[in-house]
Parts: sequence; C-alpha cells; structure tokens
Amino acid sequence: MTDPLALDPVLPRAERSRLPFNTAASHGERFDAFEAHVVAGGKVEATDWMPDEYRTAVLRFVEMHANSELMGVLPEREWIMRAPTLRRKLALTAKVQDEVGHAQLLYRVAEDLGKPREAMFDDLLAGKTKFHNVFHYPTKTWADIGVIAWLVDAAAIVAQQALRESSYAPYARTMQKICWEESVHIMHGRDVVVTLAVGTPAQREMLQEALDRWWAPLMQMHGPRSDRSKDRDLHWRIKAKTSEELRQEFLTIYVPRVWEVGLTLPDPLLGLDPATGEWRYSEPDWDELRSVVTNHGPRSEARLEFRRVARAETAWVREAILAAPRAAA
Amino acid sequence: MTDEAVRDRGVGTTEAGVLEPFEVFRQEKDGGPMVHGGSVLAPDPLLALHYAREMFSRRGESVRLWVVRRADVHELDDPDVLAPPLDRSYRKPGGYVMRDKLAAARERAGTSKPKARGKSR
Amino acid sequence: MTTTAASLVVGLDAAVRSGLDALLLSMADDEFVLGFSDSEWTGIAPMLEEDVAMSSLALDEIGHARALYELLAEVRADGRDADAIAYDRSPEDYRHCRLVDRGRGDWAMTIARRYLYDTADAARLEALSASSWAPLAELVAKLRREEKYHVMHVSTWLDRLARGGDEARGRLLAALATLAPDAATVFTPLPGETVLLAARVLANPLAEAEARWRASITPDVVRLELPMPPPAASPERGRLDHSDAFRWLWGEFTTVRRMDPEATW
Repeated sequence: MTDPLALDPVLPRAERSRLPFNTAASHGERFDAFEAHVVAGGKVEATDWMPDEYRTAVLRFVEMHANSELMGVLPEREWIMRAPTLRRKLALTAKVQDEVGHAQLLYRVAEDLGKPREAMFDDLLAGKTKFHNVFHYPTKTWADIGVIAWLVDAAAIVAQQALRESSYAPYARTMQKICWEESVHIMHGRDVVVTLAVGTPAQREMLQEALDRWWAPLMQMHGPRSDRSKDRDLHWRIKAKTSEELRQEFLTIYVPRVWEVGLTLPDPLLGLDPATGEWRYSEPDWDELRSVVTNHGPRSEARLEFRRVARAETAWVREAILAAPRAAA
Repeated sequence: MTDEAVRDRGVGTTEAGVLEPFEVFRQEKDGGPMVHGGSVLAPDPLLALHYAREMFSRRGESVRLWVVRRADVHELDDPDVLAPPLDRSYRKPGGYVMRDKLAAARERAGTSKPKARGKSR
Repeated sequence: MTTTAASLVVGLDAAVRSGLDALLLSMADDEFVLGFSDSEWTGIAPMLEEDVAMSSLALDEIGHARALYELLAEVRADGRDADAIAYDRSPEDYRHCRLVDRGRGDWAMTIARRYLYDTADAARLEALSASSWAPLAELVAKLRREEKYHVMHVSTWLDRLARGGDEARGRLLAALATLAPDAATVFTPLPGETVLLAARVLANPLAEAEARWRASITPDVVRLELPMPPPAASPERGRLDHSDAFRWLWGEFTTVRRMDPEATW
C-alpha cells in the first residue's frame, strides 16, 4: 500500500480526505475519525487501520463464532454413522461438512485480524476461549438431531442474519455466505422433526422428549438481556441487534411452527402478550449458561478432550504437508 | 502497513514449510466476471485449487475458480487517488443534461417530442 | 431415470439379471462402506480445508451407493427400495470387497486405501462404460466424471505423504503393507460374470480391468518408489468374510433403523 506521505502531497496534511489513512494525524484524531466512520455505517477491511479496541472486539466475537462452528460439529457427528436412510445420511453429512466449512471461513477472518489458527485452537482446547452453550449438551437420540438441525440452527440464523451488515466487512461477507448455506440446514432439520411428528407413537414420544430437553439451552442461547447503551459490540456496529431482540425474533417465527405440528414446549409461561407484541417466558437459568460456557457443561470436557486427541493424532499429517517439496498446480 | 498493533498474521513467507492464504475468485456463470469469494489456507497452489473447489463450489455454484497467493495481490485503496475530489462529470452520462435545451429547440422549431420507441424488449 | 422400472429390465433374461444383481450389489456395497469409513473424518480431519474435502469424497461415495442401490432396486423389482437394500441385511450378506472392509485407520491408511480403491474403481468403471445395458452405461458415465476429482485429490495426498518426511512415508508404507493382500479385491470374480460378458453388459473381464489398473498406477508407484500391490490373497473370498470392524460399523448404521423397521425416518 502506498504511503501517501511518500508522494509529493497535493493537499496539505490536515486536509487529507481519510484521516485513518493519514499517518500524520494523532492517534486521538484517527480514533475519532474511525469511530465516526463506523457509527455512520462505514465498513472496515482487513488491511485498514483500526484502533486496538475495535480489532480486539471483532477478533473475540469472530473467534467465539468460529469455535462454536467447530465444536458444533461434534454433537451431530456421532449420528452421521447412525442416520437411518441414505438421504438422511447424505443430508446430515453435508450439513456437518457445511459447519466445518463455516469454521474455516470464520477462522480465516480471525486469522487475518492477526491471530494464527493454531493459537486459536490452543486457546479453545485449553479452555481460554469459549463456544456457544448449545454445543456442550449431549445428543441422546435421532430426534435430537432433528431438533438441533431445526431449532438450534434457526436460533443461530436469526443471529447471523443480523450480522450481515457488520461494520467489519470480511465478517459481514462471510455471514452472507453462511446464511445462504444455513437456510438448507433448517429445512433438513424441520423435515426430520415433522417426519417424526407424523410417525409412530414411539417416534413422537422420542421427539417430544428431545424438545423438552433442548428448550432450556435454546432459550439461553442468545444470552442474557444487555443494556444497549453499554454494549460495545453494538457501538462498533460489529453486531446490530441485542440478545433480547434476537430471542424475540426466534420465538416469533419458531414457536408457532413448533406448536403447529402438535408439539408442546416445557414452559407454562411461554406465550405472546397481545398488548405488547412481545413473547413472555420463564426467566432462563443464567447460572446454567455461565457454568456451561465456562466448560462445565455435560459434554464440555469430553468434547474438548476428543478434539485434543484428534488434533494430536493428526499432528504428523500437518507436519508432512509442509515438509513435502512443493508442486506446481 | 500503518497500524499500531503488532500484527503477526500467522502465515510465513513463500518459502517451503508454511500454509499460506490463497485468495479465491469465482465465476458464477458462463461469461460472468471473476469475483472474489474468500480465501483458503494451503501449502501450494494445487491443493489451494482443490480447497477452493470445496469451499466455493460444493453446490456447483461456480463454473470457474482462480486461486492467487495473497502475497501476489497488490492493493490500492487511497481515495485521493481513486476518487479525486474535483468535478469529473464530463466522464459520466449524468454530466450531460439537455432537457431544457431540447424543450427550447422544439419550441423554436414548432415540433413535438418524438414518440417513444416501441417497447420491444 | 426416464424409463419405468418394468421397461428397464425387459429383454434381460434371468441369468443376466442375476449377474447384474451381483455386480450392482458389489459396487454399491463398496461405495457405501467406504463412504461410511471416510465420513468418520468429518469434523476431525488434519486440517479444516481438508476436512471439507474428505467429507465431499465421503458424500460422493454415499451418493454413488444410493444411485447404484436404486438401480439395483429396479432390477430386482421386488418392492424393496434402496434404503431397504442398503440397511436391512445382516452383516454376512454385504458384498463389499476386503479392501474397504476395515476400520477408518489413521490418515495414511485412509489415503492408501482411497488411492487403491479410487484407481481400481476407475478401471472397473471403464470396463462398464460401454455396457450394452443403457441404464448402467448412463450411470457409469456420471460416476466416472465424479470420480475424476477423487483420483486427483487422493493422488495429491499420496504424493505428499510419500515425500513428506520419514514419519509420513513410514506410515504410508505400513498402510500399503497392511492393505497389500486385499488391494486387488475390487476385481474379485463375480458370480455370473461370464453371462454378463456374453451379454456385453460388462465389456471386459474384471481380470483385464485389474491389469489395466496396475498399468494406470505404475507411474505413481514407480515415481514415489512404492510397492506394487500383489495379487489378492484368497481371491474367491474377496467379498466374503467380513471383519469385526465392519460388524461394529453395521451395528452403528443400523441402530436407529432397527428401532422400528416399519417406521419412516
């Protein structure tokens, strides 16, 4: 990138059009110009100057998202082997493959912010960085697979759609690609659920039991309500909606669809308040959420250990791929 | 690069022994432009092509793929150079507004506006 | 398929149908079992990008298995669909070859097995490409186009492992040694092969396809100084006698279905 200071300046330094590009400005001036740019809806690219606070915030946000896609593979992976028809096996394997692909896309975004992939894996496996609560729970039956693919992916997509206009452009573009791919997952999940719902009594029972187990983690998934004015990720436009806005959107779209197929939800307070247009629900157990995301969930340690072992077992491959003499395309 | 944080991008040089980012360009349909889709990490161009196929054409959504080592991409983003501030409307259709002049010419000649061409599209 | 099930098999006499049944079942079971083993890498492959690639290969195999089971269902025309054929058999009744009848193994085993299988399958498909039976010829044409990428990708990895240092090469050679007695079982003689040859459903005997296979892998084998696989041990049993690893796999993939064989999933 050409340093404008190296060119014979046409304009005096103070009048250069984009202050962040202007290395002669003070840090304070550059920070203010950057903030104004972002708050006004401007976008930031990987090669742009950005204040450390912004870079760190985006990195933390993207890293957790990447970790979640990677860990999110494990609950479903167990059932790839057990998918009961060829079509389900294909759909589930493709879905899990997409999640790995999403992890790749997101780790690439995070890497370009300055943190190497291996360092991110180190931190994930050492418990220093987090992944979303839903991926810390066991999958006990085939019905779990339907419920996860439908409702967990639905909750995720509600969040991801709101990220498509993120100020950090590489992340926003990745979200657009991810949302496009995720929409198919929800259809696969809903198909599994509806098939079970119109199936044998044993299948319906399995389905209802799975839903009863997954509802609490789903309600916790978007996180506790936060104060809009205090949320730095909102301030920097990294994300656009609050946890509560996302949760309400999820409930609005999906609760009617769950009820539509004759399933119940294990929350007696759950319902739409006609006066406010908002969904009322029993307060989720935020202690459970905190405990789970700090790796005290039912499957947290087992899954991290599974990954540690897999990573160790394949270390020789990574070394080999870099040792082989390079070939031309 | 003029930023303050230490930026170890985690990828090495082009010498042997590193995974490096390759930018992927894809063509959506026959005759279309090559559009940037994202990047893959790979040890060399051949595997980069395989991975580009996986990441950007699993659903058959690309008819052509290019991979380019990021190190070989050169960037210009200085707005002073790309969009200098003085008027350049002489380069654009919007810079030629003739409506009033045409109205004056028709009035002087006593003509009316020709019928719009048939919508034959 | 644009033709109806009945018209597909019109003109095929009982002996040919029987031979075709054995052929399609062997091919479908090969793809099915290999696809299952390789899908075990999904989520835990050595590198993220490679994870996506290996999953595609596994998915392709399952897709090929599905297409082959569907064609077989039409040949049998006994009311059972592709899923019933794929899932509702006891382990002894599967007809996949010994090469794929084992656990996933490490990355070197996966690559070695895939390389041997994909190159052998390419030779087998070539022997079927001019099949006199149109539905098979059409499917084989599609399969060959899909398999092209498999051979590309797995050859790249064979090269990387063979030249990737002592550990990689050592593991690759060990895998090839383990697989050696089973490498050529893709070409296990089939019951009814002579009938299929006479009817030109199969253009060349499988033994000839095996020779072509060996010729096709010779450049790689020579360049990378790898051992050429020997003839299959106990060739007549190449698709019988399944391992404990396969029985475990069978237990897994039938587990949900066996809960209620009548249910729709």
